[in-house]
Amino acid sequence: MAAEPIVVVRDLSKIYRQGDINVVALDHVSLDITAGEFVVLMGPSGSGKSTLLHIIAGIDRPTSGSAKVQGIDIAQLDESQLADWRNQNVGFVFQSFNLIPVLTAAENVELPLLLTDLNGRERRKQVQTALELVGLADRGHHRPDQMSGGQQQRVAIARALVTDPALIVADEPTGNLDAKSAGDVLAILRSLTLTAGKTVVMVTHDPKSAAYGSRSLHLEKGEIAA
Amino acid sequence: MTFASFIAKNALRNKRRALLTVVSVAVSCGLLVTLLTLQRELTVPPESEAASLRVIARNKVSLAQPLPAKQLSVVEKIPGVVAVSPFTYFGGNFRDETVTSFAQFAVDPARFRDLIVEGKIADGSYDDFIKDRTSCFVGADTMKRYGLKIGDKMRFTGTFYPVDLDLKILAVFQGTVDDRGVFFHHKLLDELMGNPGTVGTWYLRVASADVANDVIARVDKAFENSSAEVRAETERAFQMGFISMLGNVKMLIGSISAVVVFTLVLVTVSTMSMAIRERFRELAVLKALGFKRTELFGFILAESFGLAALGAWVGIGGSWAFWTLIDLQKLTNGFLLYFEVTPRIMATGATVAALLGIVSAIGPALAVARTSVVEGLKTLD
Ligand SMILES: Nc1ncnc2c1ncn2[C@@H]1O[C@H](COP(=O)(O)OP(=O)(O)OP(=O)(O)O)[C@@H](O)[C@H]1O
Ligand SMILES: [Mg+2]
Repeated sequence: MAAEPIVVVRDLSKIYRQGDINVVALDHVSLDITAGEFVVLMGPSGSGKSTLLHIIAGIDRPTSGSAKVQGIDIAQLDESQLADWRNQNVGFVFQSFNLIPVLTAAENVELPLLLTDLNGRERRKQVQTALELVGLADRGHHRPDQMSGGQQQRVAIARALVTDPALIVADEPTGNLDAKSAGDVLAILRSLTLTAGKTVVMVTHDPKSAAYGSRSLHLEKGEIAA
Repeated sequence: MTFASFIAKNALRNKRRALLTVVSVAVSCGLLVTLLTLQRELTVPPESEAASLRVIARNKVSLAQPLPAKQLSVVEKIPGVVAVSPFTYFGGNFRDETVTSFAQFAVDPARFRDLIVEGKIADGSYDDFIKDRTSCFVGADTMKRYGLKIGDKMRFTGTFYPVDLDLKILAVFQGTVDDRGVFFHHKLLDELMGNPGTVGTWYLRVASADVANDVIARVDKAFENSSAEVRAETERAFQMGFISMLGNVKMLIGSISAVVVFTLVLVTVSTMSMAIRERFRELAVLKALGFKRTELFGFILAESFGLAALGAWVGIGGSWAFWTLIDLQKLTNGFLLYFEVTPRIMATGATVAALLGIVSAIGPALAVARTSVVEGLKTLD
């Protein structure tokens, strides 16, 4: 596995202005993440975990400093370039699954592929592969409300990896799941780093979940604690 | 899955709301089309090429004031006048009707022949008409509606005139834009009234449309400063003037239409913004997945446009079919003649619906564009 970092964060700050008060969500954070790592972000509530994750994933912008992913300084991209970049390079897994309720599992997984040049057959093939990876090959035609939380989150993981992105970000992906389902989800995320060479950055509060990662980082008041 | 099926699934996610939206657009579009058709019916008089060559001269004071019969000799000498006949509206009620929807005019049969040149006579002749002063021509529509035959008697009770008419049908008159009228001898009316020496209006035919305005000016001039000053105008202008008495009705219809459109806008705008607001989080997720503002705007527009278009199709098509299939002339006793839902009116309805689809998409689309992914993800479902 190449040792070069896929994510390079330098002096990253994020400050929210609320009236006269400045809320410092991230305070000069620097870190490197190597391809294939499973990095777990931990820390108390309000410490800036989600903010850091959002900036690395290109859905939020830093106040100062830089975040480079695969050598691209994503803060320099405009809205539309950033959207394309996300589509090709990042997979998202959220705490509350965030599947589209009117679409089947397969259709949910297919969504990001609608933005690619693939034709219908190629898309379906890729969807099937992604669903197989999360162990839901036979549930493609089920709608989210016909599935358990754990299954929904696995569909969300399939959606996150269907475009074959290098980076997968997950913000408390097991926060809404029971222990068994959480274990399934975490095992899948870990296997993605081990077998498919994906890089996963995951936020969690739960030390047991953190144990699945290859490295843990602790944030405190917007800074990485040693 | 395609973009189209994704949009369709979104539009139909709340089936009851989608149905209600489509129905309210359909009902409003149907109502709008109906109102516009009614307005057209009331404002656009039947038009024909021959009618543009005709001029009506009436008493300048008012239509109800008669004109002296002796003006005829002056009028017929005016350059550009090809034919002229007295033309007096009798306004009687047929049989025992309380309101008769077709008009009866007293004319000079010999002169009338050169006046309404587009009108054709069936089953009779002008010569016979001229000979028999109790005879009349009856418009084909009226013949049909009352099941009348040549030789039948028609009795009219006077309303303005304190006399009644007993006429014998001599021929059927047809080919004009409004084949309803009954034409009888002015002499008969004169006799019944004790020869007052007056006529209601003069009806003129001019040599060409180009000279119509000159003729009108000359007719007005000829009786300037006389005891019966005249106002001449084209048949069309006359009818429009007649219709302007319906001005308030027109305005009323216009305002109702405006209210219908306004309400429709309120309904669809609020429905659409509700539909999008409850999907804010999903739209943020789509953004995170790489969908751009323009694509999301496209989804919203297509959804709102699609619902509006479906409603318009049902509403406009439905009202077209309805007004085309029912015999309104019969139902309204001849008050509404054509009630034609013209392509132009349907296009107006469709345009309103299209604009509606676009307008209701704007607000939600702006809200979605303004909201960042992170903000959107924080909204609760
Ligand atoms: N839009 C915002 N406006 C103002 N302050 C914000 C905003 N978003 C986040 N913050 C603040 O930034 C800080 C970091 O927030 P962040 O969401 O990254 O925390 P977190 O570590 O993910 O917490 P949690 O574990 O509760 O999810 C917090 O103090 C938060 O109040
Ligand atoms: Mg958080």
